[in-house]
Amino acid sequence: MRMLLAILLCKLGRFVGKLVGKGSSLPGKLALKVCPDILGRVALPGRIIAVTGSNGKTSTVEMIAAILRAGGKTVIWNEEGSNQIEGVATLVLTHASLSGKVRGDVLLIESDERYAAKTFKYFHPTEFVITNLYRDQLTRNGHPEWVYDAILPAIHPETTLLLNADDPLSSCFAQGHQRVKWFGMDRCAVSADAPGGLYRDGAFCPLCHAPMEYDYAHYNHIGAYRCTACGHRKPQTDYTVTAVDTDAWTVTLDGGTRIALAFQSIYNIYNILAAYAACRECGVSGEAAAGVLNNYLLKNGRMQKFTLGAHHGTLLTSKHENSIAYDTNLRYIAGRDGDCAVLVIVDAVSRKYFTSETSWLWDIDFDQLAVPQVKRVILSGRYCNDLADRFSFTRLENWSVIPDISAAADALKADGDEDLYVVTCFSDRDKLLSRVEKEA
Amino acid sequence: MDVHMLHFYPDLMNLYGSCANLLALGRYLTALGCTVTMNPVRPGDAADFTHADFLYMGAGTERRAEAAMTDFARFAPELKAAVSDGMAVLFAGTAMELLGKEIRRADGGAYAGTGLADFRTERQKTRTVGDVYGRTALFPEPVVGFLNTCGKMAGVETPLLESTELGVGNSLTPGPEGFHWKNVFASQLTGPLLVKNPKLLETVAAAIYARRGQTLPAERPRDEWAEKAYAVTEEQLRLRIK
Repeated sequence: MRMLLAILLCKLGRFVGKLVGKGSSLPGKLALKVCPDILGRVALPGRIIAVTGSNGKTSTVEMIAAILRAGGKTVIWNEEGSNQIEGVATLVLTHASLSGKVRGDVLLIESDERYAAKTFKYFHPTEFVITNLYRDQLTRNGHPEWVYDAILPAIHPETTLLLNADDPLSSCFAQGHQRVKWFGMDRCAVSADAPGGLYRDGAFCPLCHAPMEYDYAHYNHIGAYRCTACGHRKPQTDYTVTAVDTDAWTVTLDGGTRIALAFQSIYNIYNILAAYAACRECGVSGEAAAGVLNNYLLKNGRMQKFTLGAHHGTLLTSKHENSIAYDTNLRYIAGRDGDCAVLVIVDAVSRKYFTSETSWLWDIDFDQLAVPQVKRVILSGRYCNDLADRFSFTRLENWSVIPDISAAADALKADGDEDLYVVTCFSDRDKLLSRVEKEA
Repeated sequence: MDVHMLHFYPDLMNLYGSCANLLALGRYLTALGCTVTMNPVRPGDAADFTHADFLYMGAGTERRAEAAMTDFARFAPELKAAVSDGMAVLFAGTAMELLGKEIRRADGGAYAGTGLADFRTERQKTRTVGDVYGRTALFPEPVVGFLNTCGKMAGVETPLLESTELGVGNSLTPGPEGFHWKNVFASQLTGPLLVKNPKLLETVAAAIYARRGQTLPAERPRDEWAEKAYAVTEEQLRLRIK
C-alpha cells in the first residue's frame, strides 16, 4: 500500500513539477518519505548501469544511452542530471506501473559520487562505471580519498566494475573485487613521458604511499603508473584506445574500430572509451557502438559555440573547484590553430551553495596559455582579483581584468575578430551566453 | 639577506593550492631584497635545519598526513630545537595536526605527532567544510579562509585565531582556531592562506626577519590584486555573519 502511495505521489509530483518547471528531485523525495525502501520494492529492469566519478559522468551516460537506444533498447536515464537518491527515485517511479514494475530494458543512472552508497542501498547496478577520482569541489567533497571511501560501500559483490586503468586512485576499487573490467589508453600521440600539471597526485601510491613511477601519462596523473613497492600498477585493459590520430582526430578502439572525434579533447576520448566499454559489456558490438560514437556531438551543452561581434566563440564549460577540468580545457585552447582571445570568468564559485573559496585556482596550470596564438586573456567576475593574483604568478603578461562580465563581453564585441574561448562553470556560463548569439 | 626555506613533502602534502603559500612568501621576500632558496624535502631526504630560516608543510589527505608523519618523526627533536631558537614555521591544513601530541584515527587506533605542542586531534567520520572569518591578536584585520577537515582538536592553548565569527575552529565549533607559539604559525585553514590574507603574509615574513634580529623595512611590497581579492572575500564573508 505504501509502495502504491509512493508511486502515485511521485507521478503526481512529477506532473505538477513539469507544469510549473520545478526540478526533478522533489517528487522522489516525497516518495522516499512515504516509503523509504521503495527502490528495493519495485521491479527494476534486468540491466542497471551506473556511472560515477569526478569528471565525465554526464557525457558518458549520454553516449551510453545513445548507443543502447540505437540498438533498439528502451533506456530510462536521469538526463536532467538529478543524480542523488531523490532524483533516481523520481526517475524510477515515474517509469513504474502502479504495481511497481519499471518499464524499460535498461536503467541508466548517473550517480553523484558522494551519495552513491545511499542510492544503491536497496538495489545495485549490474555494471558500475567509475570514470576517475581526483580533486573536485572540495567545498562538498573534502578530497579524492574521502570520496573514494564514500563510494566503497556502494559497490556490491555481484556488480561488474568498469574501471579506468589509468587512474591510480579509482583503480583501487578493484582491490578484493572479483568482477572487474578495465578501460584505458595505450601510449599514443597525445601522451607525455611524465605526469603534467601543477601538483603530483600520482607521485605516491594510494595504497602504500611508496613513490610511484610513470611509463607515460595522458593528462595530469592519469596514465601508466607503477608503485615501486607494492605492485599497484596500471592493469591490462579489456577495452582500449590503441591509437589517436591528431591530424585526422580519430581514435582507434581495440586496434580496429576507428571513431572520428567531434570534440578534440582528451576528456572526450575517455568518455567515449568508458561509454564504449559499458556498451560492449552489455553485448553491443564494437561496430554498432562506433556507428553512434563516430563524430558524436554531445547534447548536454558543455560546449557551446556562439558569435560575439566579429568573434567566433566557444564556451568550454569547466567546473570551478576542479583544476583538472580547467587544465584539460586550457590544453584544448593551447592546441588550436589561429589567433585567439580567452575569457576566464569566476563570479559564483558554485550554483548550488555560496563560498568564497578560491584555493583551487592555485592548482590550475594557467601557463598552458603561454603560447603564441593566445593573444590576450581577460579575467572577469566577482573573483577576478583572485584570478589576477593567480595570473601574476604565471609567465603570462597579456592578461587584463574587467570585473563586470557584461562589460567584458561588450569590450570583446567592440574589438577584434580572433577566435574567442570562454572558460567558466555552469554557475557563470549564462551570464556570458545571455550576451552572445548562440550557434546551433 | 639570504633566506633558506625547507618545504616538507611538496608532492605528498600539497592539497588545494597549498604550495601557493611558499610562492607568495618567496615573492614577498624577494621584493624586499632577500635571496630566497627553497629546498624541497621528500620522504627519506636529509634536511638541514641549522641553516634554515623557514619550515613549511602544506595540507594533505588524512592518509597522506600519516605517511608524512612516519617520515617527519625523525625530525621532531630538530624541529623543537629550531622552534625554541625562534625559527619561523608554517604548517597549514592537516599538517597542523602533526605539531600536536597525538592523532586518533576515525576507525580506531592512533599515532604520535611531533609533540611540539600538547594538543591532540581526534579524527571524525564526518567532515567539516566551510568558509571561516576570524580574529587574531596579531593584527586588526580579520582572517579569511576555508576549513576542510575531519580533525577535532583539543588542548591548543595558544591559538592563531582567537575566535571565528563565521565557520568553526579547532573544536569544530565556533571558537579559537589554529596554533601560534613563538614564530610557529599553524592553521587548519586549507590552501593558500598567506595569499588570501596579505597581513598574515607580512606577519610570517616579519617572523623570519625577527629571528635574524631585524624588522621588516618600512617600504614593503604590496600585492594589489591580493589586497583587492581579500577585500571582496572579507566583505562577502562578513555579510554572511549572523
